[in-house]
Amino acid sequence: MGRMKFLCDVERCIDCSGCVVACKEGNQIPVGVNRRRVITINQGKPGEKSISVACMHCADAPCIAVCPVDAIYQRDDGIVLVSKETCIGCGYCFMACPFGAPQFPSGQVFGARGAMDKCTFCAGGPEENFSEKERKLYGQNRIAEGKVPLCAAMCATKSLLAGDADIVADVYRERVFKRGSGSNAWGWDKAYKKK
Amino acid sequence: MNYYYKVIMKRILIPACIAATGMVAAMVYAGTDPVIVTPIGAGTGTSSFIQMNDAFTGDWQQYGQTFTNLQAGLFDQLFLVILTLIPAVFLLHYILIGAKHFDHEGEDVYFFSSTTRLIHWVAAVSFSLLVVTGLMIIFGKLLGGGTLIMGGRIVHIASALVFAVAAVFMFLIWLKDMLPMPYDIAWLFIMGGYLSKKKKPIPAGKFNAGQKMWFWLATVGGLVMAYTGWYLYTFQVTTDQLRILAIIHNFLGAAMIAMFLVHLYMSMFAIKGALTSMITGYKPREEVEILHSRYKI
Ligand code: HEM
Ligand code: HEM
Ligand code: SF4
Ligand code: SF4
Repeated sequence: MGRMKFLCDVERCIDCSGCVVACKEGNQIPVGVNRRRVITINQGKPGEKSISVACMHCADAPCIAVCPVDAIYQRDDGIVLVSKETCIGCGYCFMACPFGAPQFPSGQVFGARGAMDKCTFCAGGPEENFSEKERKLYGQNRIAEGKVPLCAAMCATKSLLAGDADIVADVYRERVFKRGSGSNAWGWDKAYKKK
Repeated sequence: MNYYYKVIMKRILIPACIAATGMVAAMVYAGTDPVIVTPIGAGTGTSSFIQMNDAFTGDWQQYGQTFTNLQAGLFDQLFLVILTLIPAVFLLHYILIGAKHFDHEGEDVYFFSSTTRLIHWVAAVSFSLLVVTGLMIIFGKLLGGGTLIMGGRIVHIASALVFAVAAVFMFLIWLKDMLPMPYDIAWLFIMGGYLSKKKKPIPAGKFNAGQKMWFWLATVGGLVMAYTGWYLYTFQVTTDQLRILAIIHNFLGAAMIAMFLVHLYMSMFAIKGALTSMITGYKPREEVEILHSRYKI
């Protein structure tokens, strides 16, 4: 099985936020939660760059290491998922994550954090594939349907790449070669370098 | 002929010339402006990536990694050691040296006013809940997580509100009696006299050095716990700050639990009948004269 990865090509992202909207709509995410975010640095100045980031589905994921109830797990294809019924909303995964991926809807009592919600790589959750419960708690399961995640599928500039790591890396390498710049993909060192 | 010539000139050639001039101008301009001629992408790399890191979660290498390592390995072990070692030491003390008994038949001294007792018990109940629910979060794995521990978190927040208020009152009520005194050093040197069964007068005022340490840790430490806990609840700080606050909350929590266990042992087992004094307000005169020899009754 391939190893799934995200890559956002900083030279191509035009800050349209289409990925954010597609993700929110397609997965019916609770208010106040953004599984994917786009940020822009140096806005309106030379060197302006935008990047779209969700969960990177890290190798050696720090979130898994810190969770006090083992609510987070990694599939064989590298996708990192959370069981919302086990999560206690403590927020440790957010503190451990290098990408600020874990998000928290505010809960019923005292507005304390509810169960953690984050990007699922559009692979649903621990529930049975395509079940109503899975859809309600985690959103779509496009991976089980053989599709790429919504965000990458709709990205107009194809800045956001998602899928098998080798293919994603090849596409990006070719682009970098054609453009004549030698930069690494943002976040890849942190997310995927084996420690 | 003339007509077509005019049309061609007006509609095609002139716009074409303007466009061509524009393009040449743009190319010349581009030649002078490095921003446009540099291949796209050459400006990326570390500098802009660092800015992006900042925009997401701060300096992960420094605080994120530290937090991850501590939480993944150290914290639960630290709590486990405290929870087993301290009771074990006390069990040994109880068996080898045993509790101190004082004459409860003789004269009594009024030691704790009703307000004092009320505040103490409010603090005691809320803090006990904080300890239990805090440990539930830390050892959540063993209980399977989910609704139970989520409920524990809610109780933790509710008790925190009560405890924070009680801690302020406790601080104000006892501050005067808890200020460090020269004889506290002597008390520390003889370990409070707990290592022997002899009833020699022990250098201490209304409270001894050990009680004072518990007081300061419980009140000032408790308020630091309330402060750090508040931000762990609201999350309204940067991610790096959250990491630091969580580390403080855990280390200080460990220290507080350790001293809490000491307090429980001392007040419930080591000095027979001490618990009564916090319920009725009265202590045996003999106990005060020996354990609090500098206290003017
Ligand atoms: C002494 C034992 C205590 C232990 C072991 C403990 C442990 C914990 C733990 C494990 C958490 C989960 C979040 C985190 O650490 O980042 C937490 C959160 C919190 N603690 Fe404590 N704590 C203790 C005492 C206190 C005290 C004395 C207060 C305040 C007066 C307090 C207030 C809070 C608050 C407000 C939260 C955030 C709750 C949330 O939203 O999850 N804690 N504590
Ligand atoms: C359920 C738990 C608790 C029990 C059974 C308990 C019992 C007692 C007793 C019997 C005394 C009187 C000791 C003496 O003078 O001989 C006392 C004193 C005191 N308690 Fe507690 N207590 C508890 C929890 C707490 C908590 C949570 C705090 C603070 C956060 C606290 C703070 C104090 C302080 C500062 C004193 C006075 C100094 C001292 O004796 O150490 N207690 N407690
Ligand atoms: S990006 Fe964050 S949430 Fe996703 S796997 Fe890595 S550490 Fe976990
Ligand atoms: S918020 Fe949930 S998933 Fe994240 S560390 Fe806490 S229990 Fe685990």
